[in-house]
Amino acid sequence: MRRLLLLGGLAALALPAPAFAHATLEQTSPGFRARVETSPRVVTFKFDQYVVALPGSVQLFSATGPISVRRVWTNRRLLEASLPRLHKGAYTVRWHAMSGDGHVVWGVFTFGVRARAPAPTEAYGASGPTRTEDVVRWLYFLSLALLVGGLGFRLLVARRPLPRRFYVVTAIGAAATLNVGIAAFILRSEDALQLPFGRLLYGDLTPIARTRFGTAFIVMTLGFALVTGLLFLSWVSDREALLWPAFLLGLAFASGLSLSGHSAADRGSSWKSELADWAHLSAACLWIGGLVQLVAVVWPLLPELRRAAFLAFSRLATVCVGVLLLAGTYLSVLRLPRLSDLWTSGYGHILLVKIGLVALALAWGGLHRVLAVPAAERGGLLPRLRASLVGESMVGMTVLLVAAILVNAKPPG
Amino acid sequence: MQPPAEHVHWLFATGFLILGLCLLAEAVVGTEVWRRRAWRAYLWPGLAFTLGLFMWPVMVFFTSSTLHMLAHGAWAEVLMLAGAVELALVRGKLQSRWWSLATSAAFVISGAAFFVHEQNAWLYQRSAFLHHALGWTMLGAAVFPLARSFRPRSQAALAGFALTFVLVAVFLYSDRDTASIFGHISPQAGAPHR
Repeated sequence: MRRLLLLGGLAALALPAPAFAHATLEQTSPGFRARVETSPRVVTFKFDQYVVALPGSVQLFSATGPISVRRVWTNRRLLEASLPRLHKGAYTVRWHAMSGDGHVVWGVFTFGVRARAPAPTEAYGASGPTRTEDVVRWLYFLSLALLVGGLGFRLLVARRPLPRRFYVVTAIGAAATLNVGIAAFILRSEDALQLPFGRLLYGDLTPIARTRFGTAFIVMTLGFALVTGLLFLSWVSDREALLWPAFLLGLAFASGLSLSGHSAADRGSSWKSELADWAHLSAACLWIGGLVQLVAVVWPLLPELRRAAFLAFSRLATVCVGVLLLAGTYLSVLRLPRLSDLWTSGYGHILLVKIGLVALALAWGGLHRVLAVPAAERGGLLPRLRASLVGESMVGMTVLLVAAILVNAKPPG
Repeated sequence: MQPPAEHVHWLFATGFLILGLCLLAEAVVGTEVWRRRAWRAYLWPGLAFTLGLFMWPVMVFFTSSTLHMLAHGAWAEVLMLAGAVELALVRGKLQSRWWSLATSAAFVISGAAFFVHEQNAWLYQRSAFLHHALGWTMLGAAVFPLARSFRPRSQAALAGFALTFVLVAVFLYSDRDTASIFGHISPQAGAPHR
């Protein structure tokens, strides 16, 4: 088993195939997302190496379509293009050039003439999140649930040292959080740059790193690397107190999703919507991650702890479900001000599916509360309870999948 | 405001130099003597793990290309993994000596990352030369942790392992953002910084 895990881990590490040494874009004029008051006559790119212009090296787009660029030329480390007179509005520049080593480097940036420049992720041609991004977002939620929910289970429910499998499950969550986060960032960059994967390898990701999404990626990657370090140190040094900072930091850094998503950027968003989104996500992670620990660690390895852990988890799950419902209802009202949006908009349709699945999960948990908890309080456990808990966690994971699709969808208005 | 890449390389060179010197000291005096102070056993794996943690900021802040970012991500992960496995072995949390193969695999992955990382020929400019040299060094040096898996008390394997890190440090200290190598620099590489 350990060898399999090692091989799996190494294979995962081998997947990101690295590289570099091509021309790097150092500066542009107009700058990234700059607002200029007069139409620029020339757009200039300054690289750290000599570059050669190619056909269509600089492409300009307004919000409605392409605008022809008059002339493109290079001057040692400069790539320049003369522009026609631009009207008020937002513009996207897509560029590529051959660097000294013969490799073509690519990039995108936006600027506005007497108008706000859109983020590169909303540049002309960017189609928005794809199905692959939905799956990656779902995997990210699952990873967070394994990590943060697992730590929460150990500290709030079990309150005693757990077998090594607890660390294995949470470590898988930690490694997945880091790697799936990287995959999510690259997929979003792929859409912004509008490049196939082979060309994306040489794409300049700096403009995407400067967006709200990019900032969240940077902070969360650094944060979860730290959490991974604390988790490992706790295991290797037998200092379980280190799990507390790991748990609290994990919860805090999970807020990166709330601070970079709809709850932070859309109409009507405020600190209250950001807080509600974070509470919603945290409660879901604690609930689903806790169920996984109960099913994968306590039930098979600690039979003497089953009853106590089940009762304690039931109390935590009740609180989590309460927070989920309150925060979810608030966010739904905020994003769908009219009830009819539920059946007239695509976002509403997805939300309806999610509400249906949440209702199923709540009914499942409610059955446990009504039937299994009283039995456990009397000193016994219902037969096939573990299978039922597996079923509940599966429904929870499906809710996360729909939540991932919902997060990537655009609310109406 | 980002520091120049060469400064970051020099910082990591210092880390690798300390790591290599610790291992070299262990090879010179012997593992038994080196570990008379218990904390010394944790020194190099702990340093490797810490260097892995510090590689993450490099990965997220230097985003001039996807490949560049992924390369540093891979190095961060293999450094953390190799350091973690060695720490767990010293601590007794892992028992099988085959776990040492993780360090060997980390060397191979790091070497491969250098090869993909560098698309130019050896003499294009100094960083190209260093990337090739580092790639081959890491790939060749993978044999030392491999040998230690089979013969854990081999002083030669330990010395080779230690010298690998010293060599890596020397290569990293030699790095300049744009500079000649043996008096040669491609006209395409831009003006040398110094």
